Amino acid sequence: MRLRNHNNDHIDQSESLSFIFNNRSYKGYKGDTLASALIANDVLFFARSFKYGRKRGLMGSGVEEPNALVSLEIGGRYTPNLKATEVMLYDGLSAVSSSNPNSIDFRAIIKPLHRFMPAGFYYKTFIKQKVWALVEDSLRSLSGFSKAPTEKDEDVYDHIFHHAEVLIVGGGVAGITAALEVLNNSKTTRVVLVDERAHLGGELFNEFKSDDSAISWHRGSINKLLEFKNEANSRLKLLSRSTAYAWYDHNYIEVLQTNATGESLFAGSTQGARKVLHKIRAKEVILATGAHERPMLFETNDLANTMLSQSVRRYLNEFGVISGKNVILYGNNDSIYSTAIDIKSNEINCKVIDVRASGNESEIVLKAIKSGIEVLQGYAVLKAHGTNLVKGIEISKVEMQGKKWMLIGSSKRLNCDLLASSGGFNPVVHLDCHCGAKTFFDDDSQAFLPQKERKNRQVCGSVSAIGFWKDAVIDAKNKAQLTLVSLGEVKKAQQGVMSENYLDYFNASQFFMPIEILNRPKVFIDMQNDVTTLDVALAIREGYRSIEHIKRYTAMGFGTDQGKTGNINGIAVAAEFLDVPLSEVGTTTFRPAYTGVDFGAMAGREVGGFFDPQRYTAIHDSHIDSGAEFEVVGQWYRPWYYPKSGEDMHQAVNRECLAVRTSLGMMDASTLGKIDVQGGDAREFLSRVYTNAWMKLAPGSCRYGLMCNEKGMIIDDGVSTCINDNHFIMTTTTGGAASVYTTLEMWLQTEWDDLDVHLSSVTDQFATVAVVGPNARNLMKVLCQDVDFERDNFKFMQWRPGTVCGVDARIMRISFSGELAYEINVEANYGRYIWDEVALAGKQWNITPYGTESMHVLRAEKGYIIVGQDTDGSMTPMDVNMNWILAKDKPFSYIGRRSFSISALNSKDRFQLVGLLTKDEGVVLPEGSHIINNNRSSIGYITSSYYSPILGRSIAMAQLKGGLSKMSETVLVKIVQEKQGLKEIPCEVSSSVFYDIQGEKVDGND
Amino acid sequence: MFLIDCPYCKESRDQNEFSPAGEAFIARPQNPEELSDDEWADYVFYRTNHKGDHWEQWVHTNGCRKYFLVKRSTISHEILEVAAFGEVTSENKS
Ligand SMILES: [Zn+2]
Repeated sequence: MRLRNHNNDHIDQSESLSFIFNNRSYKGYKGDTLASALIANDVLFFARSFKYGRKRGLMGSGVEEPNALVSLEIGGRYTPNLKATEVMLYDGLSAVSSSNPNSIDFRAIIKPLHRFMPAGFYYKTFIKQKVWALVEDSLRSLSGFSKAPTEKDEDVYDHIFHHAEVLIVGGGVAGITAALEVLNNSKTTRVVLVDERAHLGGELFNEFKSDDSAISWHRGSINKLLEFKNEANSRLKLLSRSTAYAWYDHNYIEVLQTNATGESLFAGSTQGARKVLHKIRAKEVILATGAHERPMLFETNDLANTMLSQSVRRYLNEFGVISGKNVILYGNNDSIYSTAIDIKSNEINCKVIDVRASGNESEIVLKAIKSGIEVLQGYAVLKAHGTNLVKGIEISKVEMQGKKWMLIGSSKRLNCDLLASSGGFNPVVHLDCHCGAKTFFDDDSQAFLPQKERKNRQVCGSVSAIGFWKDAVIDAKNKAQLTLVSLGEVKKAQQGVMSENYLDYFNASQFFMPIEILNRPKVFIDMQNDVTTLDVALAIREGYRSIEHIKRYTAMGFGTDQGKTGNINGIAVAAEFLDVPLSEVGTTTFRPAYTGVDFGAMAGREVGGFFDPQRYTAIHDSHIDSGAEFEVVGQWYRPWYYPKSGEDMHQAVNRECLAVRTSLGMMDASTLGKIDVQGGDAREFLSRVYTNAWMKLAPGSCRYGLMCNEKGMIIDDGVSTCINDNHFIMTTTTGGAASVYTTLEMWLQTEWDDLDVHLSSVTDQFATVAVVGPNARNLMKVLCQDVDFERDNFKFMQWRPGTVCGVDARIMRISFSGELAYEINVEANYGRYIWDEVALAGKQWNITPYGTESMHVLRAEKGYIIVGQDTDGSMTPMDVNMNWILAKDKPFSYIGRRSFSISALNSKDRFQLVGLLTKDEGVVLPEGSHIINNNRSSIGYITSSYYSPILGRSIAMAQLKGGLSKMSETVLVKIVQEKQGLKEIPCEVSSSVFYDIQGEKVDGND
Repeated sequence: MFLIDCPYCKESRDQNEFSPAGEAFIARPQNPEELSDDEWADYVFYRTNHKGDHWEQWVHTNGCRKYFLVKRSTISHEILEVAAFGEVTSENKS
């Protein structure tokens, strides 16, 4: 319900907003979160739990909330798994629970059958029995999380980079103070202040009712911050509704800023982003991240309206809402008294149950008692009563005996409709630990605190257990001074002295973990994953000791809340069952991200056309005009095949291949990597990086080379052209260009700086048109008059400079199809012109453009390998039957050579490249299929497989164990055929050269 | 995400401009053919995988394309020193 006459800065009661939750409409106010608006409307159930399907209500008020998961909107604006506590209300908002608490739930029905599903239940029941695959789908659909979006995200997301001297995380008392201290004491320091809430101030608003000085401090500080923010050339950036979720190396921190309404985040900006990912690189970081409350543990502590005390207080003070009229506060520290006093002042009934015995009461306790609040000291809650909603509690006297809490006497029952508990506070150390900082357990505050010293980082406020806000101010000033010293802005840090009350809410007595309560059923630690104290006990009985293992066995802290309320309690429970101190158990590892991050926000603007660069050759437009289908190779868009009307890919490729073999084809080969190698030692350099000989390659000639790494494995291949003794042009595979270039530079820069060699990438500088087929010479004679194309004057593997259609060109006679072929290289700008001229002049021979698919078929017919397809980084030249390319007598031991003699690389049992011919000529084996032996285990796999139109049958290349000594043997290849299922196809092992075995076609017909 | 000072560009740039290129000061043997398999394997495969301050090679891939040397703590990832090739060698390294 919403309290009448409630005034504060957060809720604007003049602006009413309508929204829909679980198909019902409600009203709230501007400034509400979805959670506070639903409390105002008396909605108490938000979800069903993950494992048992129990109805759950709200527990917290911020990112710690484990239960109230909702999905927002539908269609292209759908967002799954948001916490209702984080969603700011806007007019027209529509949300549904991730697992609807009002629908009938299968788990609630099967629950009686299993009575209690222990940790490891799904594993033991389904996976061990090998029926997981059968039930996985139906179980996953039951899980308490939203479905993944199915439509394209309509929203825009942005990335913004910031550079700052100081980043302050947390905009509560400590963060505000630190920001002002830095800005006041430096003229140049830039500050970014990040806060996850809509209003700066953190938990201070809770003090407003009882402490006027808090109000004036807040007003004054915010005004000063705004002055800094509004200065010309402002040094201050304020990011509210922003969560720092990851801290990476060298003080690189990522912050997600949210604007659920879809309105622009930045005034004046015309295009609004729903979320903005801020990438901040800071010299110094000040963490003022605060603390999360942890609940008390008791039986059925998951009933709706069992909440955290501080959250109840925040809902009351900031939003003017509360979900009960008869409230019980329960805990082991003073914070529950503050909540009780605030509740009481709103004329709502409340009682306090404190596990601590009477005596040594602090001021706030005395104040509560004085104000007439009923206080039971030395009592524990054993159990919450109610079916789905808390209706009452069972309590018993409790006493510390030795070092253990013991229940004494009989229990009695109290009624309530809202139970709020506080078991102490967990400093938000997550961010600090992302880069490896450790926590330590502090006895005074009963909390894991951040590592004391860390370079370029300070912590202040309640993250270091400073609970009293006035002391947090002093602490933050002290730490900001240390930051200024570290930056060199201040010579000597001024250090104020804190009061004796600095712990305030952190003065908890030790964790309240009486074994008699922990041994009860349904004492939930992790609400989202339904992990109970007995699950932890079971994990320990089954032999798990490390908290990391216990976490994984029980799934504690695995949910979208990442165990913010539950994990530390879980550690304390484990410590109790293991009978060791809490500090010995330690925490689990904190990893990014602290809160959920939308994929959209990670991607930012790099979606659609901006996802990846697209590279087009100079001839691209012509391919589009020809109706080519494209294939992406690296980032290149290469023509894949050129279908004529009515043709499918198979028909087009058959036509293209036959045209090349019988008359004339043309292909855009511009994408091959080209590296210009110049210098007095260019020849020597090629000799070192290729396996074959280069010293005698004459100007005017070309040579194919195979490149290996030091391990002896093939990494690239291609043809290099000798322009003159000091100048070569190396070609690389299309995909390997960048990595080959980087590798070559590595050898030159790190090992061979004495060689006179310079490399430049010239891939984009040239366009290459390949003219291929028996009629290629006839065409070239038409295109180019200043070159002698006679076969004995311009031989295979030679090149000539010439003028093609008036354009200077380098013409190489090289072939990747086995046919007579010329590659015309021109300055890239002439690429389109030459392509079109070639097409025109070639008409009389019915010249046919062909794409990468036909290129693959043609090269496979000849047994030419594609590095990266027929090899995979573990193939030597011997493995692909290319011993002929290994020079024996080069003086320099070229890259990879020494490895060839290692015994392992000479084993007869290695995967070796062979050809495979299916006995049934019509079957084309799927690439990747496995070759199996008599025991049905794999002895190899298919690397390339096509239908060869010139041979009228299928051909394949394969990596087969010991394949080169298995020629003519029959092997089986296991494939899955449509409708027929698994089949074993008999194949004959053959040479990988299938066509023109003698190599007679390369010179053409005449 | 490291911030790396390129000794050639003389600027502090984000890690995504650079690529790591393995441990530094592993010289290619002058006489590979005379080495035993073990000695060769030592050069090709074995690295110190040092925990602590570690000299390694980086290349400014999306920048000046120069290889250079970086001394980095493999524990804290703090970069303690950068140097051009030749400025620091296996003999005079700290
Ligand atoms: Zn550079």
